[in-house]
Amino acid sequence: MSVKTINRRTMLKGVGSISIGLPLLEEMIQPAVAATKDDVPIRAFNIFFGLGIPSPLQAEGFDDVLEPLKPLGEKLLIMRNVNQIRCDESGINAHYDGAAGAFTASAPDGEARAGGASIEQLVRQAHYPAGQPNGVVPTLVGGTFFRRSRVGRYIHSYNKDGTVAATIQEKPRDLFARVFGSVALASGSKDARRRALKQSVLDSVVDDFRFYTGANSPLGAKSKSRIADHLDRIREYEQRAFALDTDPNAPKRPRRSEIPHGGASDPGGQGIDITLEQLTTEWRLLADLYALSIQMDRVRFGSLTFLAAGERIRLKGEYEYDGKHRWSFDDARQQNASGDQGCSHEWWHKFNENKKNEALRAHAHMKMREVAYFLHQLNDKNSLEVNDRTIMENSMITISTESGDGRHNDVKRELSGVFHAITGANGRFKTGQIMDVGAEGIDVYNTMLGAMGVKDQLGPDDRDNQTIDQIRA
Amino acid sequence: MHRFFTVAYLLTIFISDLQHTDAQDTVRVRGGLQVLYTFEAGQGDTVFDRSASDTTLNLKITNKDAVKWIDGALQVNSATTIKSAAPARKIIDLAKRTRGLTVEAWVNPANDRQDGPARMVTISGNTSRRNFTLGQDANYYDVRLRTTVTTTNGIPSTSTPSGTATPRLTHVLFTRHADGTTRIFINGEQQATAQIKGDFGNWDDSFTLSLADEASGGRPWLGTLHLVAIYSRPLSTKEVTQNYTAGPGAKTGEMLAQRRHEQFFESKIAPLFAKNCLGCHGAASHKGMLNLARKTDAFKGGESGKVILAGKPNESLLIGQVISGDMPPQGPALTEMEIHDLQHWIKNGAVWTVDVIDQALYANNRPIEIWLQRLTISEYIGTVQQTIGVDIAEQATTLLPPDIRADGFSNTAYNLNIDLKHIETYAHLAEQIVQQVDVAKFAARFSKSRKLSTDDTMRDFVADMGGWILRGPLDEREISIYSGIATTIASTGGSYDEAVGLIIEAMIQSPRFIYRVEHQRGDGSAWPVNDYEMASRMSYILWGTSPDQQLMQAAKDGRLQDATNVAAQVKRMLENPLAKIQSARFITEWLDLDRLENLQPNAKRFPAWNASLAQDMQRETVAFFQDIVWQQKRPLSDLLNAQFTYATPQLAKFYGFALQTNSAENELQRYDLSDVPERGGFLTHASTLTVGGDDASMVTRGLFVLNDILRGAVNDPPPGLDTTPVPAKKGLSQRSIAEKRIANSACTGCHSKFEPLAFGFEKFNGIGVFNNQDEHGNKLRADGEILFPGTAVAIKYKSASELMDLLADNKRVQKTITWKLIQFALGRPLAAADARIINQIHTAAGAHEGTYQNLMTAILTSELVMLTRTQTE
Repeated sequence: MSVKTINRRTMLKGVGSISIGLPLLEEMIQPAVAATKDDVPIRAFNIFFGLGIPSPLQAEGFDDVLEPLKPLGEKLLIMRNVNQIRCDESGINAHYDGAAGAFTASAPDGEARAGGASIEQLVRQAHYPAGQPNGVVPTLVGGTFFRRSRVGRYIHSYNKDGTVAATIQEKPRDLFARVFGSVALASGSKDARRRALKQSVLDSVVDDFRFYTGANSPLGAKSKSRIADHLDRIREYEQRAFALDTDPNAPKRPRRSEIPHGGASDPGGQGIDITLEQLTTEWRLLADLYALSIQMDRVRFGSLTFLAAGERIRLKGEYEYDGKHRWSFDDARQQNASGDQGCSHEWWHKFNENKKNEALRAHAHMKMREVAYFLHQLNDKNSLEVNDRTIMENSMITISTESGDGRHNDVKRELSGVFHAITGANGRFKTGQIMDVGAEGIDVYNTMLGAMGVKDQLGPDDRDNQTIDQIRA
Repeated sequence: MHRFFTVAYLLTIFISDLQHTDAQDTVRVRGGLQVLYTFEAGQGDTVFDRSASDTTLNLKITNKDAVKWIDGALQVNSATTIKSAAPARKIIDLAKRTRGLTVEAWVNPANDRQDGPARMVTISGNTSRRNFTLGQDANYYDVRLRTTVTTTNGIPSTSTPSGTATPRLTHVLFTRHADGTTRIFINGEQQATAQIKGDFGNWDDSFTLSLADEASGGRPWLGTLHLVAIYSRPLSTKEVTQNYTAGPGAKTGEMLAQRRHEQFFESKIAPLFAKNCLGCHGAASHKGMLNLARKTDAFKGGESGKVILAGKPNESLLIGQVISGDMPPQGPALTEMEIHDLQHWIKNGAVWTVDVIDQALYANNRPIEIWLQRLTISEYIGTVQQTIGVDIAEQATTLLPPDIRADGFSNTAYNLNIDLKHIETYAHLAEQIVQQVDVAKFAARFSKSRKLSTDDTMRDFVADMGGWILRGPLDEREISIYSGIATTIASTGGSYDEAVGLIIEAMIQSPRFIYRVEHQRGDGSAWPVNDYEMASRMSYILWGTSPDQQLMQAAKDGRLQDATNVAAQVKRMLENPLAKIQSARFITEWLDLDRLENLQPNAKRFPAWNASLAQDMQRETVAFFQDIVWQQKRPLSDLLNAQFTYATPQLAKFYGFALQTNSAENELQRYDLSDVPERGGFLTHASTLTVGGDDASMVTRGLFVLNDILRGAVNDPPPGLDTTPVPAKKGLSQRSIAEKRIANSACTGCHSKFEPLAFGFEKFNGIGVFNNQDEHGNKLRADGEILFPGTAVAIKYKSASELMDLLADNKRVQKTITWKLIQFALGRPLAAADARIINQIHTAAGAHEGTYQNLMTAILTSELVMLTRTQTE
């Protein structure tokens, strides 16, 4: 295998107009693993986006919400009419059920576990039973999301026992540290986990301290200066206690994230205000780093989330695509509501086939644009591998979501027609089609696993699995 | 920026005022008054706020033709809005803080048919969104009060019975207590009550105050407005009666003006005298027979006759002298502004609020600085113990950097800074604390659920546990931050207990745990602290730790805005052993007893000294203090001359006491000193006598008494002066060296003020041993004289015992003890601006014999504790 080096120009191009502070030196970007010419590694990734695409809109092909995927259409198999009804669990709304079922085809097991393994993990275990080569992060889970009440909403890599396959990295810096940090961090050891959690605790403390130095602080000037001193010392402590022992070949550590994370990103399900620019800046930086990690062969398996299931953001900003103004996001004002009722997910609750659904379409279109952004990173000339296919083409990348209809009054409808798209996995699956599969997600997934040479199957042992041959090349 | 004790401060009347000073029935209640409209303008389109606050809220009449000014009232004949130009922020902010409110109106409705309800007094945005509205709905009155549990329209409302609103002059008064109880009084009689739970956290800051109609129009009220007032707290039934009795025409403005004049004297004139006049015309040196320090003497005048003629600045000799430049004769002349202040003061009656201007106090007229208080080491240890139930004393004491003494105490907020070692230690200790706590058991106190989901019970759990650990309710921002840790743990496959442990770790490193966070922002005047802030103030002052559950419950019930309730809590808290421990911290800090741990007297001169003896000396003074305070509950001034002490066998032997039988080696025994006249009172303890060093310096001992017992002050020695102590030798005792210094004209100005204070201690050597002659064979004396600051005549004493009696009986010494205790309680140096309130505290405690218990009660029910000085930035 050969992974092309990524030059500085390409990296900056990938970043677009966003300054992310990643001055790469060409000579530094080397694969972690020596590759032989005929060795294209097995890779599998799950890409999740929140709230889904109502199935009637999927029927429009690339004419509307799927438009951003069109340039990649020849390398994707878009599957319609995939149902995930078996993932329903009574008492919990289908945002969570559907999300937990994405890539697992099983209902969630409580609030922090999936019902079983996710497909990319089964692939990993089948192909690397003794572990991956040194320097490769076993599983990389990342995401930009603002709904975190239950794990299944935003994590999409699970072990066979339903536990999360890896700690999610929700800040570009953290994802960077996970990939390019010290061996201890990369190994996913208990120490690394403990260290990550301590950092998380410290981040929470920093968040709280920041408030007291800000404009809404209840403190007077002298007291604020004392708190500012405290914050400075925490940062100093952070640098010393959590100093990152980075790989010398790593790019420069990205700047600290400026959007809410942790608890502040999901204030009691009431949603947050965020601009399109803030959202995409954060996401694209994360996506760039994730893609770079794959290109440098530091990562072969994992998942990436762009907005969680039942996401609650009040988005503002002018949305352009292909040089044309498409929509003005202003969820709260357009819905004349505040709090959760002013969030974008309400457009999904209000979906009506007989209406224009303009706001929903714009949101879904934007999500496809951002998913496509990530895929493009793995599909440019820098991602070409020895078989003259790009990483995107060689990998099993599964794109899915939580539901096929955002209205909660009919679970069957909600969990039917859940959007799926997959890449060719080095010629294993058909691409360049929009296919009405008309099958259960579990059968689609099991067919994919079979094609990937995985013996394990999802679902009960005694289930009569249906192979969906039409998706295989 | 630091407009503490501004006019607004004194006009924001204190809780103690309302309870102690509004005795006359015809005087309206002032405590908590925010706005007052008496409709005295007689013309124009402005209704003036007569509360005399810095942030007055005048109202504009939109349609002048709709109203008619009559004597002390405004008749509203047709629809018009009478509205403030700016949002009613002060009222809104304070109500949010106190959760209490009073809306009062003297009105004469035009009829008993207008409804809607017709808006009489309202802070609202439109017909459906309000903070509160007092209105008339046909023949009854109705109050809509928005809280976190009502609608945005303030429904359900509180209403009086039918027939209570009639076309007659009526006193309508609505109160809301923090516990949710609302009441409406008509002409002094309660006519309605209800429970409107919740708080005002959702009040809209942008709403204006309007009279006679909704802010947006459409709900006009017609009739005559005689008086409208809003208070930031609920008036008591007695106070309601008081305001009703005072009637619609009570002249509150005159009373408030008097308060302004008093404040002017304290903030301008007393400092001016102290700085420019009292050096020559003070108690000690009253040139021209003029003493401007003492009120009676100042008005009496001097050799040239009266110098201050109240109301007549042009005829007052004082003004003539400063304008001509004759006074002050040395140093810079008064500025134009200072002269103007003097003229203004005399013109307004030359109001003088203190018996004696304390030069040491007013000359150093530094502003009060409000700093966030970091928990001291002992407070941190106590708080961890109280909230989490873990004893972390050993590790915290070892690892945390020591709190450095400043202005006499190590809890002085401005000096409680933070460094890397603190952060590192807080993180380390947080981990240790969580390891020592039974997380599951601790969490079960707050929630039976063990779910990590923030959609289920995690947020409620974090709110409940955080409210306890962080000493007050968490807001949504905080709940989100800390419950986010749970979701992070969940995403790593962690357990509920692990999540709770890490949430606790985060909380005990957070600002609200490490610091005593209070709301400090405002309009620059003094505002009531909220109930939870008050609970914390009480517990840290009385116990040096966080509130217990009873105190937190009292805060939750809104019972800590009331001085009577506070006093009841103080009484309870004083019975807790924590109060005794905290009192020991006070005496240790005041007398700097920890100094003994590092004292190393010359071993050859003092072979009896050792570390354990030094520790016994510390323990002696603390035990003596505890006996006075807790066993005998005597006035604190008895600390100066009580004829008993405590000593271990080692210390008793050192003092030369006859050993008591059955004394364990390290045990303190009480010794009666009736027959040991040279000792008695803590100034004769070795712990304080060592302050003079090996040579028993008269200078150091004298300064200690002057500064820490008499609250006096002298300037620093001139630059370049050789301050090397002159050693005693045969024929030259310390006393004779001191007397030579005092006789030196270059030194006497300062040294005469403090060295004689140490004469009485000459017979005690550097480590406190009593002798009649020094090591050189010089005969030692104990007689001397003492000039109390602010007085003109020195008083002679023959012995240490007499000196102790003089000190114990002296009012200034007694007040100094009050002063020190208040400083320790507040955690900041006191300033001239505090003097008036300190006097109130001292008087209140003195009326009950000046015991520690009475002093603490007076302190905690004073405005120094129950109010906070807000800052505009």
